[in-house]
Formats: sequence, structure tokens, C-alpha cells
Amino acid sequence: MKSILLSFYSWADERLGLEEMVQFAKHKTVPVHSQAFWYYWGGLSLFFFLIQFATGVLLLLYYRPGPDAYDSVRQITYDTNFGWLVRSVHSWAANLMIVAIFVHMFSVFFMKAYRKPREFGWWSGVALLGMAMVFGFSGYLLPMDDLAYFATKVGMEIFSVVPMIGPKLADLVRGGPDVSEYTVHRFFALHVVVLPAVFLPILGFHLWLVQRHGNAVPPSEEAKSEAQRRSESFFPNFMMKDFAMWLVAFNVLSVLAFMFPWDLGPQADPLKPAPLGIHPEWYFMSQFQVLKIFGDLFPGKLGEILGIVVFTAGLLLWFLIPLYDNTQEAGRRAKRATYFGLFTLMALIVTTIWAYLVL
Amino acid sequence: MNYPFWDVPHIGSGWVIGIIAIFHMMIALFAVGGGFYLVLAERKALREGHRDWLEVLRGHSKFFLILTGVFGTVSGVGIWFAIGLANPEGTSALIHNFVFGWAMEWVFFIVELTTAAVYYYTWGRVSDELHVKVGWLYAAASFFTLVIINGILSFMLTPGDAWLAVAGTGQEASRFWQAFFNPTYWPNLIIRCLICASLAGVWALVTCSRIDGGKTPELKTTMVRWSAKWLLPTFVLLPLAFVWYLWTVPESQRALLQLGISTIGMGMFTQVTRMLLVVGLTSGVIVVVTYAFAWRSPLEFNSGQALAVVLLALIATASGEYTRETLRKPYVIGRYMFSNGVRVASVDKLNAEGYLMHSVWTRRGGDDKLAKGEAMFRGQCMACHTVNGYRSMKRLLADRNREAINNLLTLLHDYKPDSPYRAFMPHLAGTKEEIEALGDYLAALTAAPASNEKTKVAEKQAPVISPGKL
Repeated sequence: MKSILLSFYSWADERLGLEEMVQFAKHKTVPVHSQAFWYYWGGLSLFFFLIQFATGVLLLLYYRPGPDAYDSVRQITYDTNFGWLVRSVHSWAANLMIVAIFVHMFSVFFMKAYRKPREFGWWSGVALLGMAMVFGFSGYLLPMDDLAYFATKVGMEIFSVVPMIGPKLADLVRGGPDVSEYTVHRFFALHVVVLPAVFLPILGFHLWLVQRHGNAVPPSEEAKSEAQRRSESFFPNFMMKDFAMWLVAFNVLSVLAFMFPWDLGPQADPLKPAPLGIHPEWYFMSQFQVLKIFGDLFPGKLGEILGIVVFTAGLLLWFLIPLYDNTQEAGRRAKRATYFGLFTLMALIVTTIWAYLVL
Repeated sequence: MNYPFWDVPHIGSGWVIGIIAIFHMMIALFAVGGGFYLVLAERKALREGHRDWLEVLRGHSKFFLILTGVFGTVSGVGIWFAIGLANPEGTSALIHNFVFGWAMEWVFFIVELTTAAVYYYTWGRVSDELHVKVGWLYAAASFFTLVIINGILSFMLTPGDAWLAVAGTGQEASRFWQAFFNPTYWPNLIIRCLICASLAGVWALVTCSRIDGGKTPELKTTMVRWSAKWLLPTFVLLPLAFVWYLWTVPESQRALLQLGISTIGMGMFTQVTRMLLVVGLTSGVIVVVTYAFAWRSPLEFNSGQALAVVLLALIATASGEYTRETLRKPYVIGRYMFSNGVRVASVDKLNAEGYLMHSVWTRRGGDDKLAKGEAMFRGQCMACHTVNGYRSMKRLLADRNREAINNLLTLLHDYKPDSPYRAFMPHLAGTKEEIEALGDYLAALTAAPASNEKTKVAEKQAPVISPGKL
């Protein structure tokens, strides 16, 4: 049996160069230090994306966009064998993926892993987070239950703030003046064709960069000499632990999907009044609250525009951090960047909690 | 119905017990397994000359003393407070039937707590032999606390025919040992012992993860691997013990599990089956993850990974405890007392004379039907349901009109042998008038608001703009 396997391996090796890959993986190392725990979060984000991909394809087998959207999701949830589980896993993994990306992004930020030569890793990563959020936004409407419908309806009003082209843009995204079956078609196309087509190459680029530059170490480790630093081989040691972490994540996901299956509300009815307490998903709550605060401070159009300007400026600062915190020394600039990170993290947490409290 | 009702909004009183109990179980089972771990590790270290182990074990025994002696005992007392408030009738029945059992339990508690403190404070102050003896004394005392509490907890699921034959006659004490060594006693004990061993390993890994592998690689490797081995017996034997356990639980509860398994595809399966799947999955994951993190790479094993294993153990313990509790439904003491404190034998009397007549803490007289209905709800539903939180009545009855609610209550009141509700709902007791008052109250709870004022206000309050996905 062993000899059959070995001969198959050498047959494949001759054609695919497997040995080279194994040797490469064996020589690749991962740093070992007290903050190495944070290295798993990029892998976890990838894991949840793979789950999304697999469950998304399964949902695609039964989902019908357009006027049948609600009915098809009802069938998936109640009639199709294990449909409830696939849908529940898809919805939970979407949320967990965004949690994992957020944790990954902040750990990268505080490890200062955006500095030279990893700037493109940071930019592509932030872009992937932004796209993951759009994935969430577009996916939310697809079941067309009343919450999805009204929430999307309110959400689309953000476009009206953009001067001049705002209303036209909103019509374009909606496929008309109201959220309708055409909106579902557009969001569906965005969710399963456009976004994956853009997301996958950027993800590939991001992973290639990680591979090219290796794991960054936090400043405390950088200060140590080569001899003092420790590392372990990527294959099989780190990879096995990475998979173990995936297994932990899979376990958490299963518990959530089993114990708290995703609900389906009543079918959307545009003639009905909006249900109580409409609010965005948790990862948009912070922005939602910031806009509300500015709206309260400066009534009218001014507050809305100011809110958006402040938010966009913050996002831009965040995105461009590799350009102004670019030296390796632990100087004033590096400290300021760390404070900026802490402020952003606190602001996100506080405004999110605030938003839920005043709902 | 001799006690007032405890209203815990949103989560319900059951979850107050649940949260404290899950936290307590994580520690209490560690207190038993951890005692054996400490003394066996110390003995191994002395026999094989690993003196460097002793310093780690000393640190672990400090962690052990604080966790079990402070958090374990406080949460243990917390359970008494919570069960006394949430289900006073059931607690009273347990106290009356097991006075002698509780007395023994507390004697062992005192020995356990004392020896735990002595064990920690005498490191290096008494001879090695004497220190190991103190360790054995602790392990034995803590094991006996498990032996006794297991008799009482398993009694609640399966009191056994012998005890049930005398229940309510005043002769219960004559069947103490039959009640104690009830049908599920032994499988339950084996399952708990296995969990104790694995939790001893899980918590020891937390201590071992803090050893500096760079400075003392040999120490870290041997201790991490030895601790990881404590998870192995559970992995191999737990499934077998569980099959044995299922074989001893009442047929009706087994049927509930089987029904659950056959309806997984449609997603309609029972909560208890869901929990059981979580226990199985998580137990397997714990072993694989421990192998990958601890056994394969003991030197790099860090506290983040150790805490991931603790988190998984918490999920498994919580799900296991929930399964045990749910399997007992609709009783708090099998076939003797329903989960809302109504004795099976009292139902006929309450039907004839009135449930509220016998509830000494409810206001008598008056014609307010809704108030009567609310009193019925508090007495007979609130042990498991809340108005709008966990097992929310508003949600569960949302699609039912007054007539449908009445039909449901009639089903629960008649409690016919073929009623599907018998598997998890208690027998609804009370006169016709009381049941009707309960129906009115429930219908008023779920009725739509008289006008749509509220929704208009909500629309008004919704911000004009809101970013991103809602």
C-alpha cells in the first residue's frame, strides 16, 4: 500500500513539482512570541470566506432572485433538507468573517505590520474588509423579508446626501425609485458575480503578499537581536495549528448555527408601515450613530454632509497610515499612530454600544 | 404552592440557575479531577526525580485553590440561592428527602476546602511523603463530594419505582438508598468522572502554557504532554458511557432524542438533540485541537491556545448540562413533580379546588380575570417561559388567536396519554375558570396594539439617512 502511494506521489511530483512545494513550505518559518496568537486571525478570515463560498454555492442551487425571492428562501429554510443549516451557517459565517477581519486588521495595525514593505498588504486588506461589508449589505436584502426590505429602503437613502448625482445614483442601484424585485436582481448580481470577481483577485494578491513578505513581528520583537528571536516551521507545525484554529472556529460556527438558526421574517409588504427598531447590522452601527450625532448637532442637510465628510476623512486617514507612519523607529510619529489606532478602536466600540442603547 | 414566584424578566429564572451552574460545573468538576492531577503529578515528579515539576505544580495548586476555593464555593452557594428562588418546591423536596445526604456532602466539603488550603500552604514546609498524603486526602474528599451530589442529581431525572411508591406518604426516608442509587446513578457517575479527568487536563494546560519554553524546554515539553494525556480517557470512553446512560434514561426521553435525530434534515429537531450534537462535536474538536496545539508543539503552546481549549470545554460542559436539564422535562423530579413545582399527585385536587386557592402568595377574591390569569401564568408557566425574552410567550403565541390559545390550554389541561406536549410540558392544573383567565391573559399579551401609533412614531424617529447595510 505504502509503495503504491509512494509511486503515485513520485508520478505526481514529476509533473507538478510537489517536492519543491513541500521543501519551500518546510523552510518557511513563522515567528514565535507572546503575541503570536494574533497571527491566526488572517487565516480565520480566510476560513470563514471559504465557508461563505461553499454555502453560497449551495444556496445558489435553490435561490431564485426576483418576485420569487422570498418564497425560495422560505423553501430553503423550511422545505429543503438541511437547507436551514446551510442558510444559517451562511448568515452566521458572514458575521464571524467580519469579526475576524476586524480583529485581524487591528492586530495588523498595532503590530505596525503596514510599514515598509507591507503597504500593499494593508491597502488590499482594508479593501477586502470594505468589500466584505458590501457583501453583507447586498446579501441582507436577498431573502426579501420585511426587515430586509425596510432596512435596505432606509439604507439606500444615504445616496440622497450626495450632491447633484445622489438621487440618480440611488435609482441606478435600486433599479427604480423604490426597493423592488429589480433591486433584488441587482443586489444578487452584485453579491454573486461582481463582488466575487473583484474580491477573489484582491484576496489572491493579499495572500501572495503575505507569502512574499512573511509574518511581521511587533515592535517589541523587532527590538530583539536575531539570536534572541524564535520561530517555528510553517509546515507542518504552524499549518497544523492553523487548521486546529479553523476547527475551533468551525465549532463556534456550528454551535451558533445549530442553536440559533437564522430566522426568516414575514414577506416584505411595501404597503405596511416599517416595523419598530429598524437598524443596520452591527458592523454599520458605528457609522449610523456618527451620522445621527452630526444630524442632531447640525440640523438639516449640513449635519448629514458633515457626518459623511468626517467619516470619509477618518477612513482616508486610516487607509493611508502606511504613508505617514513609515519609519521603523519608535519615535513620536509611531506613538501618534498607535494612539490613533486606540482612538479608532474605542470610538468604534463606544459608538456601536451607544447606537444600540438609543435604539 | 407555599412560596412566592420569582420573576426574572427577559432571561427567566432558569437561565439564572443555568449561568451560575455552568460556571460552577466548570470549576467543581475541575476541583475533583484537579485534585487527582496534582497528587499524581507530584508523585510522578518525586518518583522520577523531576524536581523542576514541583515549582510548576505549586503555582498550579495556587491557581487551583483560588479557582475552586473562592469561585467554586461562591458559585455553589449561588446555586442554592437561585434554585431556592426559582423552584422552591423542588428544592424543598430535595432537602427533605436527602437531609442525611446533604449532611455528608458538607462534611466532605469542609475536609476538601481545608485540605486544599493545607496542601498549598505546606509546599516545602513538610516532608514530601506527608505532602503527598495531604494531596490524597484532598482528592478522596473531593471525589466523595461528587459521589454524593451525583446521587441527588441523578435522582432528579430517575427517582426510581421504589422511591416513587412511597413518595408523598411521609415514608420517603425508608427508601433513601434506593433513591440515591437510582437507575441513572452509575452511568452518570462514570460520565462525570471522565469529564473531571479531562477538565483537570484542560486547566493544567492553562498553567503549563505559561512555562517559558525558551528557558526550560524539557520541563515545558514533558508537562504539557503529560497534561494533554488527561484528555485521552474521556475521548475513548465517553461515547460508551453515554450509550450506557441513554440506555438507563426513561423510554419517553429516549424517544425525544430519536425523534430529534430523525428530523434534523428539516431543522425541526428538538433542542436536546441539538445540544447533544454540540457536545459530541465539541468533545471531538477538543481532543484534535489539544493534539495539534499541545502534543505536537509543546514548546510553542501559549496561553491563547490554552484559553481556546478552555472555551471549547466551556461549550461542551454548558451543552452537556443543558442536555441533562432538558432531558428531565417536563419534570423537576421525574414523575413526581413537574418543572413548575406542581406535584403530579396534586393535579386532580388543584383541578377540583383551584390552583390559586392553594397558592398562598397570590391575592384571593376579586373579579379581575386578567390578574387571575397573570397569577396562573406566574405560577405555572414562568418556571420555563418569559413574557418577551427566553421562550417568549409573545413569540410562541404570536400566530394564535384566542380560540387557538384556548385549544392549546385545553390540550395541556386534559393531558391525554397521546398528547405530544407530554414530552416536555407539565400538566396544566386549575379549574375551568382559572384556565380561561390564563387564556385571556395570554391573549391580551399577544394582541396587536389598538392603534398603529407606535409604528408611526418609529417611522418618524428613523433617521433620514443611514449608512450602508441595514
